[in-house]
Amino acid sequence: MADRFKLSVRELSKAFVTKKDDTLVIDDISMDVRENEFLVILGPGQCGKTVLLNMIAGLLKPTLGEIYLDGEKMGGLDKRVLMVFQKLALLPWLTVSKNVQIGLKYAKAPKEQREKTAQHYIDLVGLQGFENAYPHQLSGGMKQRVGIARAYASAPEILLMDEPFGQLDAQTRYAMEDEILKIWNQDKRTILFVTNNIEEAVYLADRIVLLSKRPAKVKNVFDLTGLARPRDNLSEDFLKIRQEIADQMDLDLGQ
Amino acid sequence: MKKHTFVVKNFLLNLLSFLSLGMLVLLWIVASSGESSILPSPYEVWSKFISLSENPIAGMSMLGHSLQSLRRVFVGLLAATAVGIPLGTMIGWSERFRAIVQPVFEIIRPIPPLAWVPLISIWCGVFEFSKYILVFIGTFSAIVVNTYAGVNLANKDNIAVGRMFGARGIRLITDVVFPSALPSIMAGLKTALTTGWGVVLAAEMISANYGLGMLVTRGSDSNDIQLVLVAMLLIGIIGALMSTAFTILERRLSPWRTDLN
Amino acid sequence: MAENNPYKVEVRHLYKNFGSLEVLKDCNFNVRRGEFICVVGPTGCGKTTFLNLLTCLLEPTSGEILIDGKPANPKKHNLAFVFQEPTAYPWLTVRKNLGYCLSLKHVPKKEIASRVESIAKLMGLSADLDRYPSELSTSTEQKVVIGRAFAMNPDLLLMDEPYGQMDIKTRFYLEDEVVRIWKELNSTVLFITHNIEEAVYLADRILILSQKPASVKEDVTVSLPRPRDINSPEFVRLRSYVTDQIKWW
Repeated sequence: MADRFKLSVRELSKAFVTKKDDTLVIDDISMDVRENEFLVILGPGQCGKTVLLNMIAGLLKPTLGEIYLDGEKMGGLDKRVLMVFQKLALLPWLTVSKNVQIGLKYAKAPKEQREKTAQHYIDLVGLQGFENAYPHQLSGGMKQRVGIARAYASAPEILLMDEPFGQLDAQTRYAMEDEILKIWNQDKRTILFVTNNIEEAVYLADRIVLLSKRPAKVKNVFDLTGLARPRDNLSEDFLKIRQEIADQMDLDLGQ
Repeated sequence: MKKHTFVVKNFLLNLLSFLSLGMLVLLWIVASSGESSILPSPYEVWSKFISLSENPIAGMSMLGHSLQSLRRVFVGLLAATAVGIPLGTMIGWSERFRAIVQPVFEIIRPIPPLAWVPLISIWCGVFEFSKYILVFIGTFSAIVVNTYAGVNLANKDNIAVGRMFGARGIRLITDVVFPSALPSIMAGLKTALTTGWGVVLAAEMISANYGLGMLVTRGSDSNDIQLVLVAMLLIGIIGALMSTAFTILERRLSPWRTDLN
Repeated sequence: MAENNPYKVEVRHLYKNFGSLEVLKDCNFNVRRGEFICVVGPTGCGKTTFLNLLTCLLEPTSGEILIDGKPANPKKHNLAFVFQEPTAYPWLTVRKNLGYCLSLKHVPKKEIASRVESIAKLMGLSADLDRYPSELSTSTEQKVVIGRAFAMNPDLLLMDEPYGQMDIKTRFYLEDEVVRIWKELNSTVLFITHNIEEAVYLADRILILSQKPASVKEDVTVSLPRPRDINSPEFVRLRSYVTDQIKWW
């Protein structure tokens, strides 16, 4: 019985060419993502995690290598793969509801259906009542939730999240981690989550792909499916795994 | 108790503004009093204004002259906007287009509108159309440059979001790039408004049958300084009102912006 | 006399209102010479206002802040701060950045040069002295900012979430750096953070602020030996305790 993977990355490399020099950012990365799993990509700052995610999202073209979705090669932007950006990029001139509807609008869904779907996801992320608010009126955590609702509303098969909680303070971050797990449990999809925070990775992931510092290679893959949910970030097992991963993670001082 | 201090502070700041204007009038009165004054007093200017409504110049009331000047500005501005915004958008969006258009634009841009008067007079005569053209020339650059800057600096993340969710080509420009660039475009329009107003008046001073600028020249020619001052004051007040009106318009059009006050 | 006063900083009955908004209410605490204090509290409780009052950027509504027994005065006292975004001056080299605050206080050139050399050595920046901040990584840039603060031999060093966005390993590394320099120079440090683990790792004492209007809810002493082990049961217990005290969600 072949456990066919939802997403496969094969020998992916990315180099940026500038006037001064060429920089290799991603170096021959291969990995597989199972359907409906919560996969976390972990790596030191600036290692290229965002570049990797952008390639999977279709926003950047790889220099070498291929990406396969459901066994078929992917060629650029694909409605089945949507991203929640790090700096969020909620369109500031649209209300929360209009932001959430955006994918549906370009998919030419009828107005009534769009609004209903958007409302469903706005409620799901706990923002009922804020449909007509503008992004600047929301707190950081609330904006993140709109970003998540927006991606979810367009029913992607794979949800990419690029350090979505990086700008939040520690306590809001913990709350959002619980929130995304809750949403994922209610509406199961494949999630690819990028972070530089080991604790967050261990808290959220079914599996963790650990990347080296730039140029990024896969250093190791950790399987955390044995760690029962909900997880306690102060429990012995949790701390043990966290330390194990920390020991293997590269310290990147950017020299 | 604490809310009180806010209200009081606001009131005091407004009072300060009024006092400052009052000081200006006071200064005026002082400067215009005395034997060898070269400045008519506020009272004299006011009486001139009143007398003009009884003896209109060129068969038109002050309101009429003001409206003529305003009309010229708005027609020219409208044309400049209709051409300038799309042009600026294209320059900002397409590298190829920019390579073709920009050098020409950069050479023409520094030439002041008034330097165009001789050519315009030959091509279009000295009547209404030439005024529209001059306003167009004077306002075109500001609009194009600001639109181009706005488009160029449009938030890359917002564009990525648009693309990702399915916006393509023209829709991407109208739905994402344009609203992103709006603050810059509005700033360009505001500058254009002020410049255009100045250009119209200068053009009218050179040759016109009616308008506020024409009144300035008329007053100067007949040594009627009160008339000059009446016209100048009207020009200043109308200019200030237009700016304020524009800011209000901007706020209405952009309810999502937090930097407009 | 200042020497007999065991406290470097004393805060007494500090209140701060913005119009009708009460942010700080009756804050009282003391900081000993050479202590490393961490300030934690729920989001939006007023930690930054607290810091701004200490740096004299703001005036308290009532109450007093004393440094060495005298009212806090940025002209008299050496106050240094490090913010969340690296704020090294991009138009100055690392060397000039490190010496900047000293040059503001009109310290003689020779002394500036020697202090800059020793701080650079202490922080491992000797190789980068003639580079510009834009050529450095974010963590190195933050080191320059920290070095600039320490170079002043400040009466009080205030740090507001200086490692906020960095990845965990870089954070651990910079935390170790700051502890090392703090011990070396025997400075007094007030460190604000949202991260409880960081607070327990760094602090001699942790001040826990309450919800708005904020006061000092509790004062927790951390007597674990350094360097601290984040996995040890005592560490975890303290961390758990402090987290419970703040829990708001």
